Amino acid sequence: MGKQDMATGVTESAAAGWPEHLFRREAGNLVTALAGVFGLHRLEVAEAVVQEALVRALRIWPFHGMPRYPAAWLTQTTKHLALDTIQREANFEHKQQQLIAFMAQWPGRAADSAPLREADIRETRIRLLFACCHPQLSPEAQVALILRVLCGFSAAEIAGAFLIAESAILQRLADARQMLREKPVTLALPDGATLFARREQVLHSLFLLFNEGCKAAGGEALGRATLCLEAIRLAESLVAHPAGDQPRAHALLALMLLNGARLPAPAEGAGNMLRLQEQDRSQWDRGLIARGMFHLARAAASEKLSEYHLQAGIAAVHCAAPSYAATDWAQILELYDQLLAHDDSPHVALNRAVVLAEVAGPQAAIAAVMAIPDLPMLKSHYLLHAVLGELEFRQNNLRAAATYFHTAVQLAEMKSEQLYLTRRLQTCLGQ
Amino acid sequence: MSTDNGFLLIFRSVNWYQDLSPEQMQQVVASWVAWMDRLKEEGKWLGGDAVEREGRMVMGKTRVVSDDPFADAKETLGGYLVLKAESLEEAVLAAQQCPGLSYGVSVEVRPIASKYPRLDDAVLQELTRR
Repeated sequence: MGKQDMATGVTESAAAGWPEHLFRREAGNLVTALAGVFGLHRLEVAEAVVQEALVRALRIWPFHGMPRYPAAWLTQTTKHLALDTIQREANFEHKQQQLIAFMAQWPGRAADSAPLREADIRETRIRLLFACCHPQLSPEAQVALILRVLCGFSAAEIAGAFLIAESAILQRLADARQMLREKPVTLALPDGATLFARREQVLHSLFLLFNEGCKAAGGEALGRATLCLEAIRLAESLVAHPAGDQPRAHALLALMLLNGARLPAPAEGAGNMLRLQEQDRSQWDRGLIARGMFHLARAAASEKLSEYHLQAGIAAVHCAAPSYAATDWAQILELYDQLLAHDDSPHVALNRAVVLAEVAGPQAAIAAVMAIPDLPMLKSHYLLHAVLGELEFRQNNLRAAATYFHTAVQLAEMKSEQLYLTRRLQTCLGQ
Repeated sequence: MSTDNGFLLIFRSVNWYQDLSPEQMQQVVASWVAWMDRLKEEGKWLGGDAVEREGRMVMGKTRVVSDDPFADAKETLGGYLVLKAESLEEAVLAAQQCPGLSYGVSVEVRPIASKYPRLDDAVLQELTRR
C-alpha cells in the first residue's frame, strides 16, 4: 500500500492489533444491508449513511479508544443514523413508518452490542451482486459498482487500481446508480432463463475483477492481491447460495483460488508466465490451493467444460507440479488448445506459445507466435516482446533477444516489470 | 508560569476526512487512537472528548442565539484534551505528535490558568524594563 501511505502519511504499524480491513469490510457489509432496507433506488443514501458512521468513529474513537466490539459499534451507529435519515426524509413516503419499525429491530437481535452477522447480509449480498451485474451496465461499470458498494472501496482506490482517472470512475458510478434508480432495478433475483444469463454476467464480472487484480495495473495502489481476494470472497459467497451453486461458478472460484495461491509477493512484481520459472514455490499458499482443488472437483459435476474449467485446470497442473521443470507441460498444452477453441484471443494464443516452447522447443514456439492471427493487436503489449525475447534468448540469439527486451522495457507499465525486463536485457548484452 | 493545571489542547479541522476511503479512515483512526492511548499510558492524559459538529452560539447583551456559529469559520472544533506536561515546550512537543496534523488538523496549546496565576515571562520582562 505504498501509495496510500504516502497520501495519508500514516504508517501501517499504527494499525497493529486492529482487525484487518475492518472499516472497508464493514462499509461493504453495512451498505449491502442498508441497500436491502432502503432499496436500490436509494443506494446513495445507504452509502452516505455508512460513510457518516465511519466519520463518527474517526472523530470519537481517538478520545475513548477503540470500542471493545468495533464492528458492533459501527453497526449500531449506522442503525441510529439510518433511523435519523428515514425520519428526516420526506420522500420515504408511506413506507416511512414501516421502515422505522424495521430499522428499530435491526439487525434483529436484542443486544445493543450486536454486530452485523454474515447471516444478516448473505442473501442481500447475492441479490445486490446480481443487480450490480444488470445487462444495461457495461462490465467495467459492473465491476466498479461491485467494488464500491459491496467491497467498500473508494472511487479513488478503484481508479488507482485500474489506472484510470478518478473522475471517470465517479462518472461510471453515477451513471450506474442512475440506471438502477430509473430502470428501476429491484433486489429480486431473476428467474428461469434470465437467472442463467445474469449468473453468467456475474461470473464474467468477477472474472474481470480477478484478472484486474492479477494484472500489473492492480499492483501499486491497492496491493496486488487485494482485488483478487475480494473476487474470491464474492465468488465464495456466490457458490454458497442456491442461485450461484453451479459447476461453472465452482470452476471460476477454483481458477481464482489456484491462480491466487501463486500470486507473487508485491516485491516480485507481476506474475506473468515467463516469471513462473523463478518463483519460489514454497511461498505458494497451500490453503488456497486446497480450497481450489475442492471447488475444481465440484466443478467437475458439469458435462460441458467452460473456459473457467479449462483455466482452472491449467492452474491446477501448475499447482501440482513440484518444480518448473517437472511440470506436465503436455497436459497444459492440451488444455490451452481446448481453451483456444473457446477463446481465440491473441493473449491466450501467446500464453499457449510459451507452453509450446516447453513441449516442442523455442523455435516451434516462435513460429506459433508469428502465426497468431491477431498478432498486430499484441504489438503494443510488452508481453509479446518479452516472450519473443525469452524465446530468442533460449535459442542463444542474444542480439535478437536484446532488441525484443529493449522494446518490452519501453512498453511495460509497472516498475517491477521494467526492472525485471531490464535485468533480462542486461543478461543478453553480457552485462 | 504554572503548569499544575495542565494544558488545553484544542483540535480544529476542516472536513478533511470526507474524501478518505474506509481503508484510509481505519489507518487514520488507528494512529489517532494509538497516539491518545499512549498519552493515557504515560499518565499525561487528564481528560478530553470529541464534540459534535452541530452546536449553538450565544452572544451579546441580547443573548442572541445563532444556529451555525461556525458557518464562516474554515476550521471547526473537533475535540479537546487536557494534557499534563512540565512546560509549554513539553506540551507543544506532545501536540506535534498528533497524527491529525498531516491532514490539516491544527492543535492549539494553551496552559490552563491557575487560581493565583504567576506572571508570564513576557509580561515580567515588560514590567521589569519600566
